[in-house]
Amino acid sequence: MNIRRHIFAVAAAAMLSTGAYAADIKVGVIGPFTGGSASMGVSMRDGVRLAAKEINAAGGIDGNKIVLVERDDEAKNERGVQIAQELINNEKVAATLGYINTGVALASQRFFQEAKIPVINNVATGTLITKQFPNAAENYVFRTSAADNIQAPMIAKEAVEKRGLKKVAILADSTNYGQLGREDLEKALKTYGVTPVTTEKFNLGDVDMTSQLLKAKNAGAEVILTYAIGPELAQIANGMAKLGWKKPLIGSWTLSMASFIDTAGKNGNGATMPETFIQNPPTTPKRKAFVEAYLKDFKPKNGIIASPVSAAQGYDSVYLLAAAIKQAKGTEGPKILAALQDLKTPIDGVVMSYNKPFSAADHEAIKAKDVVMGIVEDGKVEFLNAEDATAKKK
Amino acid sequence: MEMFAQILSSGIAVGMIYAVIAFGFQLTFATSGTLNFGQGEALMLGALVGLTCVDMLGMNYWLMIPIVCLFGMVQGGFVELIGVRPAIKIKSEFGWIMSTIALGIIFKNVAENIWGRDALPFPSPLPMEPMEFLGANILPMEILVVVGALVMMLLVEFFNRKTIYGKAVVATANDRDAAGLMGINTSLVITFSYALSSLTAAFAGVLIAPLTLTGAAMGGALGLKAFAVAIIGGLSSGMGIIVGGLILGIVETATGFYISTGYKDVPGLILLLLVLAFKPSGLFGKTAIKKV
Repeated sequence: MNIRRHIFAVAAAAMLSTGAYAADIKVGVIGPFTGGSASMGVSMRDGVRLAAKEINAAGGIDGNKIVLVERDDEAKNERGVQIAQELINNEKVAATLGYINTGVALASQRFFQEAKIPVINNVATGTLITKQFPNAAENYVFRTSAADNIQAPMIAKEAVEKRGLKKVAILADSTNYGQLGREDLEKALKTYGVTPVTTEKFNLGDVDMTSQLLKAKNAGAEVILTYAIGPELAQIANGMAKLGWKKPLIGSWTLSMASFIDTAGKNGNGATMPETFIQNPPTTPKRKAFVEAYLKDFKPKNGIIASPVSAAQGYDSVYLLAAAIKQAKGTEGPKILAALQDLKTPIDGVVMSYNKPFSAADHEAIKAKDVVMGIVEDGKVEFLNAEDATAKKK
Repeated sequence: MEMFAQILSSGIAVGMIYAVIAFGFQLTFATSGTLNFGQGEALMLGALVGLTCVDMLGMNYWLMIPIVCLFGMVQGGFVELIGVRPAIKIKSEFGWIMSTIALGIIFKNVAENIWGRDALPFPSPLPMEPMEFLGANILPMEILVVVGALVMMLLVEFFNRKTIYGKAVVATANDRDAAGLMGINTSLVITFSYALSSLTAAFAGVLIAPLTLTGAAMGGALGLKAFAVAIIGGLSSGMGIIVGGLILGIVETATGFYISTGYKDVPGLILLLLVLAFKPSGLFGKTAIKKV
């Protein structure tokens, strides 16, 4: 149903926007628009739509309009694989933006790699993602999100160095995301000489976290470090409240998902996570304009973007791609790749200013210095450190 | 000791959830020898309808319950009429299996399109602050689940034993042909048992929704666990269902704590295999002799 609707919508949009003189540039957008990761997927898609709309309104890329080909991967690896093949063979996209789920990205992006079509991961954070093809002559996978090997050390630093909590428990879900993140976390803890007192695992959809939390409590954990997504994270926060066991919750950026914040309610207060973008307060004029435009177009509940990080990274990924296509003067994959690896024009993005964000050796736009810590306060994410909110470097 | 009390209390709460759903399996099995494999989906629909009443229409939690029960009855009756009756009519041994599974999938898809596929929080009618009991922390809602489940099962038992309509159900369960000869409309009784079984599932849905999250996907895993409970406890024994549920709930929580949370689901399934191997009618079930 959904898929067909998307196809119709895109086809209709394509017919309407086709100019007599200009060619359309098809760009794939892949993410989970339904299901447990939907708050990230939909926010990313809306960020992408917003940027594409702005670029098209300003005349497109040298007069050529961007046409988005949106597909819902439902956070399922097999759907991702199907969609990748469809976008390459049927839709003949020039490039693809997206992937929210590390597992789906790892399963699907090899098709783009083989077809020499660039992929910009704008949300998925698994460290392996940009390093999946170490032996290939050219790597078509880029990223505009904070990789786990940036986030994990920040989480470890916050717990061990800043708060002095050495007895840590790790709770991670059993997906690729959770388990790869757990490895990064264990590596990061090792640099402080810390071994987790316990490492627990759970499945998506688990409703009772009592055994995991009791094990952590019994092992004397002083802090819970998490690698999971919203609904299960909320079960952890609610389970801790039930046990009357108050310990800090520090984890990957998914602690900022609406499905965590809304479901955990006041039990979610104090959860701390690395963030590339925090909606309030907007620290740069660019951020302010982005938030206003987003709220105006998509009217999210209570004026809070469901996943501000995904929206901002999605938005920036379009501008990076557009700049590369403009510079490449064509939509052939190798040309876009070369342009992305050597972007001449700096781009004033929402997350940060991108000045030569990629090189042939480094496909990560975001570095550790570009990420700040956020904390959940009464239903929204705030800056943990006041200096980040006022003097965020560009 | 405190740990054990905590594990026990959490296990009991989880186990009673399984038991209520499994109870629905038993209701239809007794009258028609068939099961509704969409039982998990009936629970999911009940919870989502309840959420719509509470969240969108601003209804009181307690007022919403009868509406959800009514909805469950209609839904269960529908399943019987569309999926099961034709199979019974042609004396098909297995047609009802596929049709109830198919209807379950259809319900799930419909729910996804109406409510989306997100897991939604369900507002709790009781305070979410835990109470201390023998050193264990228990949520008032968990107690409500256990009490509500027991009350509902007792009500159904009372209905079956004390009322004339209930006696029709029992008569049909004992010997369908004889009951038919005595003037009981047995196919109506079977429809009714399906309505009742979906009612219990829908009720279970709104009972557990404040503890878990609500969403189109919530029924699948719970329905499967409940089926395991029904097999372990015995499809013909109400007592067995409760005991089976408690065993599975406690074993799961205890395994998670004492062995590994990665293996939480394994012992319950091993138990299921053991029961099937050594006492196929279930721990409390009567051995049925079936001519082949």
